[in-house]
Amino acid sequence: MADSATLTRAFRHVGFFYRTEDEYAATVAGFLRDGLAAGDPAFAAIPAVRIELVRGALGADAPRVQFADMTEMGRNPARIIPRVRAFATEHAGRRVRYVGEPIWGSRSPAELREATRHEALINVAFADADADILCPYDTTGLSPAIIDDAMRTHPLLLSDGVHEASPMYTVPFRIPSSCSLPLPAPPHDAMFHTYRRDLSEVRALVLKHARDAGLTDSRANDLVLAVSEVAANTLRHTQSEGILVIWHDPDEIVCEIHDEGTITDPLAGRRRPAPDSLGGHGLWLVHQVCDLVELRSDQSGTTIRMHMAIRPRPAGG
Amino acid sequence: MDLLTTSVATVDSDGEPYTLVEVVGEADVTNCDALREVLEAEVAKQPRTMIIDLSGLRFMDSSALHVILRANRSMDRQGGVLALASPREPVAKMLRLTAADQLIPVYASVSEATAG
Repeated sequence: MADSATLTRAFRHVGFFYRTEDEYAATVAGFLRDGLAAGDPAFAAIPAVRIELVRGALGADAPRVQFADMTEMGRNPARIIPRVRAFATEHAGRRVRYVGEPIWGSRSPAELREATRHEALINVAFADADADILCPYDTTGLSPAIIDDAMRTHPLLLSDGVHEASPMYTVPFRIPSSCSLPLPAPPHDAMFHTYRRDLSEVRALVLKHARDAGLTDSRANDLVLAVSEVAANTLRHTQSEGILVIWHDPDEIVCEIHDEGTITDPLAGRRRPAPDSLGGHGLWLVHQVCDLVELRSDQSGTTIRMHMAIRPRPAGG
Repeated sequence: MDLLTTSVATVDSDGEPYTLVEVVGEADVTNCDALREVLEAEVAKQPRTMIIDLSGLRFMDSSALHVILRANRSMDRQGGVLALASPREPVAKMLRLTAADQLIPVYASVSEATAG
């Protein structure tokens, strides 16, 4: 249950359930305008199709808000937290206001799981931040299960103009169980490869499959870097072999690495390492180059599934 | 054939000598110790300028990047300058994503690096 401290602390994370474009435009613009009136810098990362709508509602205030297309910035939801963190750092010492809409109806089930995980992690990443965060949810276009999870990941809810503590948000923080369902098995025709030290062979296999699947050279090299970083962790952190699995369909290529390592930090790869840092770059790079990353880890081992889209998709939202 | 080979030369540029380290192949966690030994040995000679020619490097992972960052720290500490020259696009991208390119100057060619 949310307690009264949730309502008064400096960090506010509100799930906003909307039904119409008018309601969306008025509420999002009103939230941003309240921040501007208080002198707070404001940032809105929402699907491109709704940016003009909000700009219109803001009128003369629109140029004072920084906008980003969430279908690009949040394509891999793990890239959102460091981006918002960078905005807060640019305005260090000031309260910041942020609208983030990472969830829309045309996202795949895997993307929806990771976007919901991202929403839960906002509560950890910004627990000590002086920030107002509003996350719009289209209740007409999203399934009831997604809305239920939004009630689990947001301490506060805004619906029909009324703010309330979420009855489903729990303290201490938990990631909704729907985010960590077992990954579906790879298809029967997937390629399996066992490795220990020969990472050059791992990279060559990924490059060949990525090109065969139709990735551009640049994106094939991105996937090679990501898989190599994850496979390097097998060498660094385990005594045993790792398994590489690769498959693709017309839409995407997937590379999966399984080994006996364990990753316990839920924010791993979601903090930008200092440029001269001598660690922490591996998963950071993986998230920066991949379209989506799924990670499951417990005492028995870690599975990391890296997705790259083959064809450009229509913008969501 | 070795996955990674390095060669070192001292080059005289207008009477101003610099150390040129050429790195060829693929640099990753399996061979970054060898790279570190080569760079540490050259840093210990206290050159004013050290340039790492990356034109022959097909791949670099974060372990190899950390070796280069460590060499950069040492060069900084002794008042020298480390520069990187002619990375191929995948390596250049990795340097951008880690913001290492904001810490270590990256040039399109060795001659541009010597012009500073």
